[in-house]
Amino acid sequence: MARGSGSQDPTTRGHMAGQSLGRIDDTVLVREAQRGNHAAFEELVRHYDQAVLRLAMHLTGSDTEAQDIYQDAFLKAYKSVGNFRFECSFYTWIYRIVTNLCLDHLRKRQVRKEDAPVAVDAQGEQYDVLDQVPDGRAASNPERDLMARELGSRINRALEKLTPRERMVFELKHYHGLKLRTVGEILNTTEETAKNTLFRATQKLRGALADMR
Amino acid sequence: MKCEWVQENIMLYIYNELADDARYELEQHLGRCTDCAAELKASRKFHGTISQFPVDEPTPNLLAASRMRLQEALETTQQGGFWHRFVFDPAAWFHQIRFSPALAAVIFIIGFAGGIGATYKIVSGNPGIKETTAQPVQSSITGIRSISQDTGNNQISIKYDTVSTQEAQGSLNDQRIQQLLLFAARNNYNSGVRMDSVDLLTQQPNDTHVREALMYALRYDSNPGVRLKALDGLGPYVKNDVRVRDAVLEALVNDSNPGVRTEALRLLEPVRADSSVRLVLKKLAESDQNQYIRSQARTALAQLPEID
Repeated sequence: MARGSGSQDPTTRGHMAGQSLGRIDDTVLVREAQRGNHAAFEELVRHYDQAVLRLAMHLTGSDTEAQDIYQDAFLKAYKSVGNFRFECSFYTWIYRIVTNLCLDHLRKRQVRKEDAPVAVDAQGEQYDVLDQVPDGRAASNPERDLMARELGSRINRALEKLTPRERMVFELKHYHGLKLRTVGEILNTTEETAKNTLFRATQKLRGALADMR
Repeated sequence: MKCEWVQENIMLYIYNELADDARYELEQHLGRCTDCAAELKASRKFHGTISQFPVDEPTPNLLAASRMRLQEALETTQQGGFWHRFVFDPAAWFHQIRFSPALAAVIFIIGFAGGIGATYKIVSGNPGIKETTAQPVQSSITGIRSISQDTGNNQISIKYDTVSTQEAQGSLNDQRIQQLLLFAARNNYNSGVRMDSVDLLTQQPNDTHVREALMYALRYDSNPGVRLKALDGLGPYVKNDVRVRDAVLEALVNDSNPGVRTEALRLLEPVRADSSVRLVLKKLAESDQNQYIRSQARTALAQLPEID
């Protein structure tokens, strides 16, 4: 389902191809898990947990919060695996659980944002004070590292300005290389809506990063 | 084809999301229209800028810690949904019979009669019912005083405190002895007693509860000697039990004692090709503070075949 697109980098492609192979025996494992086989469920977790953690980490920007989402998602999946009716792939189903939890998290964070430690830079633009905390790790090229960090911070701030749904579509498409049809299935919407959301997300991001081009 | 349509779909083109015919038409249009060609160039540049920052993969430590935490939670979580249909739910049942007075009356009469019958039997002194003698209930045990094993007859002797000190004797197969040993491995304040109990439990690691107690000792016991003993007992199961493998991996990554970590590294030898083990080895080889662990991890990695 999640075939890598031509524009993806080779590592992402390899990762997704590996996941496709892993899904061949998902049906057997899901049936076993439905019979109460603990080990089968753990094997299913191992097929997808790295991708789940990766998605949660990038969306929350925090290892601890990502771990909480990971935990909640798989516990929820474990409790309701008996209701899984094979109407979609297990892969889509688990991603649906994770994206719902992440969307809740993003929505809550948007509400809390008013209390975030923000400051105003020389151009009058707001930035998160926590982004400016220096990274203690050693760098081989401090100047390049500084520029890269500045660019990374700008991209993060631009991503934060998207609505939770736009952020999720962009995240799944750009960083996870999923097809928009799959993104639509995961988010319980149509491919067309996912396309429109991606369009809006990229327009906003381009606007926010316009001076960097 | 209009420029407006092209500009709305140019990102889909870059993400390889256009159908073949739309893709062909868009490419034809780009060849003719300089504005749209410039838009494609700008969109590609934007895509390139964003792609400079790929998402970091979770570290092996974070992944292992998340798996551990999940496994612990799964042990105490019940599956729901489909199975609930087969589970007796007294609340729902009473809700149903609330509206059936006749059935409710019958059940009440049967219950009443049964109650009278049972009371009559007890009062008349049925010899089948007698007081159980000193069955150790976990909540009533306050601590284990000592554990000893007779070399000759395979008997184990355990002194434990409830309100007053008691003693239980039996073989390792005795359920009461096993229960006390499991209690001692997890709860005792005396590390010598914990060591003795873990040592005895390693003789029966096939039992699920025993294996869980050994994993618990490996993760949480404050005494490195007890952790090493638990590792010894878990060793043969690293290959076939993923949970044991994870516990040993966790010890390799997080244990404060270099001896325990070295032993964990040795035990993982047969499963070095496992992706999670490989990931941990790579991390250790790159940045572990312990020089010996670092060099051993490098050696182990060098012996593994390359994977793309």
